[in-house]
Amino acid sequence: MSLRNRIAFYYTFMTAFLIALVFAIIYFTVERIVYRQFDDEIKNEVSEILSDAKISTHDFKGFASFQNQDIDAGDQDNDNDNDNESKKNKKINVDTEFIQLVDSTGQVVNKSTSLSWCVLAFNPNHTSKTAYFNSNFGGVMVRQAQVPLISSNGITQGYLIVAVPLKNAMIVLHDLQDIFFISFPVIILTLFILTRLIAGKSISPIEKVIATAEKMTQANLDQRIPLPFHYDELYRLSATFNALFDRMEDAFQREKHFTANASHELKTPLAIVKGTLEVLVRKPREREHYETRIQFCLKELNRMARLIDQLLMLARYESNKMNAHIETVALSPYIADVVERMQPSASTKDITIFVEHTGNARIAADSGMLDMMFENIISNAIKYSPSGSSIAIAVKNIANTIVCSISDQGIGIPEEKLHSIFERFYRVDESRNSSTGGFGLGLSIVKKLADIQHIKVKVTSGTNKGTTFSLTFPAGEING
Amino acid sequence: MRLLIIEDEPGIAGFLKDGLEEEYFAVDIAYDGKSGLDMALINEYDLLIVDWMIPAMSGIEVCRQVRKAGSTVPILFLTAKDTLEDVVFGLDAGANDYIKKPFEFEELLARIRVQLRDKSRSDDALSAGSLNINPVTHQVFCGSTEITLTPKEFALLEYLVRNKDRVCTRSRIIEHVWDIHFDSDTSVIDVYITFLRRKLEAAGCGNIIQTIRGVGYIVREPGMS
Repeated sequence: MSLRNRIAFYYTFMTAFLIALVFAIIYFTVERIVYRQFDDEIKNEVSEILSDAKISTHDFKGFASFQNQDIDAGDQDNDNDNDNESKKNKKINVDTEFIQLVDSTGQVVNKSTSLSWCVLAFNPNHTSKTAYFNSNFGGVMVRQAQVPLISSNGITQGYLIVAVPLKNAMIVLHDLQDIFFISFPVIILTLFILTRLIAGKSISPIEKVIATAEKMTQANLDQRIPLPFHYDELYRLSATFNALFDRMEDAFQREKHFTANASHELKTPLAIVKGTLEVLVRKPREREHYETRIQFCLKELNRMARLIDQLLMLARYESNKMNAHIETVALSPYIADVVERMQPSASTKDITIFVEHTGNARIAADSGMLDMMFENIISNAIKYSPSGSSIAIAVKNIANTIVCSISDQGIGIPEEKLHSIFERFYRVDESRNSSTGGFGLGLSIVKKLADIQHIKVKVTSGTNKGTTFSLTFPAGEING
Repeated sequence: MRLLIIEDEPGIAGFLKDGLEEEYFAVDIAYDGKSGLDMALINEYDLLIVDWMIPAMSGIEVCRQVRKAGSTVPILFLTAKDTLEDVVFGLDAGANDYIKKPFEFEELLARIRVQLRDKSRSDDALSAGSLNINPVTHQVFCGSTEITLTPKEFALLEYLVRNKDRVCTRSRIIEHVWDIHFDSDTSVIDVYITFLRRKLEAAGCGNIIQTIRGVGYIVREPGMS
């Protein structure tokens, strides 16, 4: 069952129940009021009859005096025909009241002429108190009162039964019933149809969400759900989905860029080597020519091998298969090692590496990963620094955490590009020229490794202001 | 035939120049989009080979600007971008053909020949009278006699025959047969014309190249002059 049908069904069901309840209450209240009115009328009638016939209900002297007395009420307009035969065939006059006297066993002692040949029902269960109930004789619905007549010694000698016809009241009650029974299904059906319409209309934005999500493929990630006019749950749902689509599109875009960059970076050296060798073998050449071309190809292949290494490393880190072997590393001798390793490449550009106040701080890190981070940062510093400049490495203890900073005096990174430098294949110099050497993967690797070891990396830089990388190590044991 | 390569990878530009020069093309190289576009608009090239991802101005933009300037020079896109959308995008930007890196050098040559082919002919062969030139094999025949030419001589003859019945001015000859590093002294053309005439004469193809005094040279179908 669809949501709109379910909403309509539940709503209609609940409303049907409530309406039925209200109808029932109205019906029974009306019925009670009607009966009470009749009961009051009968009560008056009874007391009138009793006073007219001088009968006491508590000091009943027996039926003797009533045997032949006409007990028809004085105010009735009953025609007093004495012909018994004609009375029998006469239609019962339903606009009058009926009076009947019965003895304690229910035998009719006397009755009003209005009753004709019929008798009023006698209920032997109500012996001590006046009872009011509905009954039916000769096809006429009546409301009757049964008044016990009790002798002075407390024995019920007989009963006075007075009845009034219910005709008009019954028509009213029947009409009421008919109205209820006809209007109920009409109301319910109309309500169901309306609810279904309203429910359909109010959940139609959901249909839009579904349609948009279904249309969404990798090729058209720019689809968005139109936002509903009112700010409600559906608006938030649509907005949330749109935000999700934004993130998805972003992720796909980044993946696409990465793939495009990776394929460019891999195909370029391949194209160079392939093309150079193809041209080389087309014609016989001098030995020297062969040598220079092959040297050139080897250089390109080495570059390609380096790229493949870095890509694989990133892939491994990204799939989180690489677990850091965190151990306590003494930072001071460690930095001295790294600097010694980087010294040859620094010397070729006449760059000095200073190490300041390393103290004897100890940090928790994976030394292999730390190696790679330092190498990447320092080789970047060397690459982008002018000859004769210097690189400073300092260790500080700030608020019980150890911060290692590596500062160069190089070309720096424009402020607006700082946030992108950890992206894979991002290079500040946008031409992807191989002559500057890098692939734009070094800092992505640094960031990835830092994340694995819970090291915070911060960069401060500006064009021609040099660059400072700060590594904040997680609070570990600090000795000194 | 003079080509311009706009390519920022010195490795690729290098072997392309080497290989294409061996195929008797005059080759210029631009290492970024801006200077490439300038060169393409100033000089008259017979074909541009453009990389997509180049500094200063993308290959696509270079392509658009060249077309905007009204040039119909054939443009060959040479790029590592290889998705269908990229190919379509590149061709829609005004490129005539699209080669994905890494590519076969022979394929590149074949595609260059397709772009240089005379529109009215289905094969690559060029002819004037009894002179036949095959630009694929770089063979020149006079009747059934093969004539051996140096690369420069071949390039000069090919240019003249491609433009037969049209006057080729000295400056145009210089532009199309020699590359940008050639100085402006056009007397070198006369030297090569002399060599060519001598070789053609020996094979029996006589006075196919005529001098238009003070202007340049022309190759005419015999009998039309």
